[in-house]
Amino acid sequence: MAGHGFSTNFPPQLGAPGGRQFWRSLDELAGTEEFHAFLAAEFPSLMPLANGIERRSLLRAMAASLTLAGLTGCKWDTPETALPYVRAPEFTVPGQPKYYATAVSLSGYALPVVAKTHVGRPVKLEGNTDHPASGGASDVFLQASLLGLYDPDRSQAPRHLGRPATWQAFDADMARRMAEFDATRGAGLRLLTGAVTSPTLLRQIAAMAQRWPEFRWHVSEPLDDGNRRAAAQLAFGARLDRHLHLERADTVICLDDDILGPGPHQARNARCWSQRRKAYRDGDGACRLFVAEPTPTLTGAKAERRLVVSTGRIAELIVALERMIGGETGDIARLDADERQWLERAAAAIHSRPTNSLVTIGANHPPPVQALALRLNSKLKSTAVQFTAPIAASAEDGAVSLVQLAGDMAAGDVQTLLMLDANPFYAAPGELGWSEAADKVPLLVHAGDHYDESAAHSHWHVPLAHELEAWSDARAVDGTASIVQPVVRPLYHGRAAQELLARLMGDYRDSRAIVQATWRAVWRDDFDARWTQALTRGFIEASAPAAVSATPLDDPLGMTPPPADGLTVVIQPDLTIWDGRFANNAWLQELPKPFGKITWGNVIGVSPQLAATRAIRNGDELVLEADGRQVAGPAWIMPGQEANTLTLTLGYGRQRGGHVAQNLGYDAYAFQGVAHQHVIAVTGLQATGRKLKVATTQMHQAIDGYDFVREVDDPRAAASQSPNTARASLYPAKIYDSPSWGMSIDLDACIGCNACVVACTAENNVPVVGKELVAQGREMHWLRVDQYYEGDPVAPRLHFQPVPCMHCEQAPCEMGCPVNAAVHSEDGLNLQVYNRCIGTRTCSSYCPYKVRRFNWFEYTGDDPESLRAMRNPDVTVRSRGVMEKCTYCLQRISAARIAAKREDRPIGDGEIVTACQQACPTQAIVFGDVIDPDSAVSSRKAEPRNYALLEEANTRPRTTYLAKIRPEGDGE
Amino acid sequence: MPQIFTASADTRLRALALLLVPFLLVCVLSLGGFMESTYGTARGWVVNQPVPFSHEHHVGGLGIDCRYCHSSVETGPQAGLPATEVCMTCHSQLWTGAPMLAPVRRSLAEGKPLQWQRVALLPDYVYFNHSIHIDRGVACVTCHGRVDRMPLLSAAHGFEMSWCLDCHRNPAPHLRPPDQVTRMDWSDWDNDRERQRAFSRQAMAAHRIEPEKLDDCSLCHR
Repeated sequence: MAGHGFSTNFPPQLGAPGGRQFWRSLDELAGTEEFHAFLAAEFPSLMPLANGIERRSLLRAMAASLTLAGLTGCKWDTPETALPYVRAPEFTVPGQPKYYATAVSLSGYALPVVAKTHVGRPVKLEGNTDHPASGGASDVFLQASLLGLYDPDRSQAPRHLGRPATWQAFDADMARRMAEFDATRGAGLRLLTGAVTSPTLLRQIAAMAQRWPEFRWHVSEPLDDGNRRAAAQLAFGARLDRHLHLERADTVICLDDDILGPGPHQARNARCWSQRRKAYRDGDGACRLFVAEPTPTLTGAKAERRLVVSTGRIAELIVALERMIGGETGDIARLDADERQWLERAAAAIHSRPTNSLVTIGANHPPPVQALALRLNSKLKSTAVQFTAPIAASAEDGAVSLVQLAGDMAAGDVQTLLMLDANPFYAAPGELGWSEAADKVPLLVHAGDHYDESAAHSHWHVPLAHELEAWSDARAVDGTASIVQPVVRPLYHGRAAQELLARLMGDYRDSRAIVQATWRAVWRDDFDARWTQALTRGFIEASAPAAVSATPLDDPLGMTPPPADGLTVVIQPDLTIWDGRFANNAWLQELPKPFGKITWGNVIGVSPQLAATRAIRNGDELVLEADGRQVAGPAWIMPGQEANTLTLTLGYGRQRGGHVAQNLGYDAYAFQGVAHQHVIAVTGLQATGRKLKVATTQMHQAIDGYDFVREVDDPRAAASQSPNTARASLYPAKIYDSPSWGMSIDLDACIGCNACVVACTAENNVPVVGKELVAQGREMHWLRVDQYYEGDPVAPRLHFQPVPCMHCEQAPCEMGCPVNAAVHSEDGLNLQVYNRCIGTRTCSSYCPYKVRRFNWFEYTGDDPESLRAMRNPDVTVRSRGVMEKCTYCLQRISAARIAAKREDRPIGDGEIVTACQQACPTQAIVFGDVIDPDSAVSSRKAEPRNYALLEEANTRPRTTYLAKIRPEGDGE
Repeated sequence: MPQIFTASADTRLRALALLLVPFLLVCVLSLGGFMESTYGTARGWVVNQPVPFSHEHHVGGLGIDCRYCHSSVETGPQAGLPATEVCMTCHSQLWTGAPMLAPVRRSLAEGKPLQWQRVALLPDYVYFNHSIHIDRGVACVTCHGRVDRMPLLSAAHGFEMSWCLDCHRNPAPHLRPPDQVTRMDWSDWDNDRERQRAFSRQAMAAHRIEPEKLDDCSLCHR
């Protein structure tokens, strides 16, 4: 640990019996005074408020609250009106949910979902288990799309020059202008969209190009695969999409490529990787992941060997790897000892099974570098990667489409620009000068779901319908097409994108007829049967393009020299709000980002070394400069960050786009260059001396103990020193009979993606509290994902641990409650009875796992009507003054129990799936009857890797963990 | 500085305190009684409805089964109120011009639901499921009373938690053959204790009903 100035004096509790050194922040590691003050306060939420309150005012407030507290019970029941249907829809049973298969989208790609609806209102989205790409896996964006539908800030009506207008006026204006374009063959008419996979939209765009030969279509997707296709062009002579088959990959070498990270590919990749990982645990083959990256990612956290390198070293590494695989043992230039060792291990792993190996390079690297990896895979005859024709269509001018458009606009060649679900006024690179170019366009028309930056700059803004309220179609990452069907009547007066384009062409049909027209042409006579089948299954079978064989060319690749050493900025998608399109989604804003657990904003990630040399502390405002552009934001020290790399994330710094989105964080788009969008050499770095507020939950709900995350050397090695032996207890042991519920969480499979946390929020009506209250430790998530570092801060090992309620058999919280609101049920659940709870918070202070959450305020009382419609009717909406916590999805248990009882049969294994379990893309969570020895959860708990968190507390938790498997040769 | 309190202040305070004791006692007693009174629980009180619908006439007089209108009682958590359409299956033919039924006709014409006032009210934190109770053979009359004798509907029970628990802790006497749950008059059963006991023994065994698991808080509160 020499050379970076950190103390190695671990506080005593961190070095305790397990002998492993876990830490959650650098302050904790160094044992600074701030950290001890933080610990002494026990609850950060109880720390004195910044604006001091006088003693007398405090006493007065206390007396008043004591006197008035009882009055809340005096509320008389208001008469309740019951509204039956006028004409009841067929098969609708009030209180019984109905399910529809449809899709939401992310960056143009379909995320297949099954939507659960209650009397016409979608209340939860799940992955579609039948879908060939995802197999039911989901991610945070899929789960949070539900809130997008009910978002009260959605644009509700057209606007002309910022003032409310009507659709009629818009239609009339457009009809007139389109007729004019007929005369000029469409010269000056441009359409800008995000990535498009919808066959209907593509059909319509082709029809527009046919009607107006001079019309041009441009595509701008801030985080697209343009470079990947260019790389395929170099490597194979054809623009192809790569498809990873991680389920076949014994060895994966990721060079700055976050394959398990957020994005349209996450659900599929995570599911496939977990299949391989499970096979490996069962003794079939290997599952080795080597990652070299400049900044911590989810993929890096699961790596067997994580090499911390700058982005500039990646080209060097791939060249060296290729040589090593080719058998060159001689002196391979310019590698340091760590790099050499990492490469040797990686090459050895590939050698053991070359056809089951895979080398990938991140999409931000120059195409020639990526092409090297593609050729290397071909040389290895890797079965873990396949190629197809591009799934998302690209415009004629490919990756530089937006630049081309901006150039034409500046030259005055653009008469009318239609922006369809694109936000270039926010998301165009700062160097492009988009706003200035746009000033020269006589008519700007924006169609989007929010009145955002582009809407405000446009002459016309029209609202788009949400995906869950209109018909359309889209393709998933593997190319399988889905018909997107509405699951709710439109909340506002939006139109589907397809409808909008159809009207420009004089076609006044609704979105259903337009989508049907596309598929009628494909299916012809078979239409009715196939349409119904597509709607019931949620996808169109065998609609993915066939894999093509990719033959590597021998052309030399024009390698660009790596950038000079020095400070480099890496711009990444945000781990919770992606490219900014989810900025107004409060669930995602409040979701702690996997590293640093930061909420409601973005930070500038700096390495511990840089922080030490420049005396930067967490929250210090930094100003970065490159090519005359500046960006300012709070610094955050990221253990495991490459020394001279700074990480920015996209999506924040919104000027418009909703109440939630605005005035948070900095705008990294403004810092982007045209040629260098994601990797930028920094010319200046200063600290302004200001401190910025960062709401992080990293140190909240800290558990006092040791050995939280355990590791074993072998899948069959024991994780617990005293497995399955109950320690003596003062409390009488209770014998449970079947069914009795329990959960097992496999830390070896968990990738820390947070899908479970958002699923829990949606399922259980968990309120959002906002930045201020998160900073005070009052976040309400029932399920949190703890993140631990282990070892050297320069290259620590990274661990994730989801922590729901443990449902202890000997639950300390139950002993503490003065009003018996925390009680145990006959089926082994630790219950919280809200209507009994008087809010003493004793249970929370007794809970060693810190999983209880207190409702400090009436969080939901002022919710607008649309958000009330979103709530799960099977779960109580908790009020001010009560304690709440994970219930193991009691409502799902109840539904299954009632269904089973009505049929006089026991509840089947796997019949109850908790929300977190259902969302998990890697199937790390299993729930079931722990008394039945044949249940899935029992067989998991019987594995030697099984251990309980804080075993020494003897609380006998029903939630237990399976230990991670330590990479070979990593024993201590 | 002048004296704030006069010499008799102490005496007056003591007198007031003495008076307060019986006053508080009365308060507590009346409050306790009040909560169980029909006024407190709304038991037996009729509520203004848009249409003065008579269960006495439809159930007692015409003998229409409960499930004709409350159609989801066997399949879902809620018994369900009839859609306007259901009323109109008969009333498009019978009493087509009755002024009393004008709101029903208007509802159908305008597509706006009838606004009924709830009579059987449970707090929002109670999750009651009709289907399982019907399936086990808890008759409608057990909770809703003799609606066939109610010209205007009123609650027959206050639905206090202790009342629910009385049955959950000892369900046997309340079980009836599930195919007859909608029957209103069970006097023959009530008079024939032996027959009733024999049936409930069978039912308890057949459905493996375990009363000790039926008073878990989580059964109704979640």
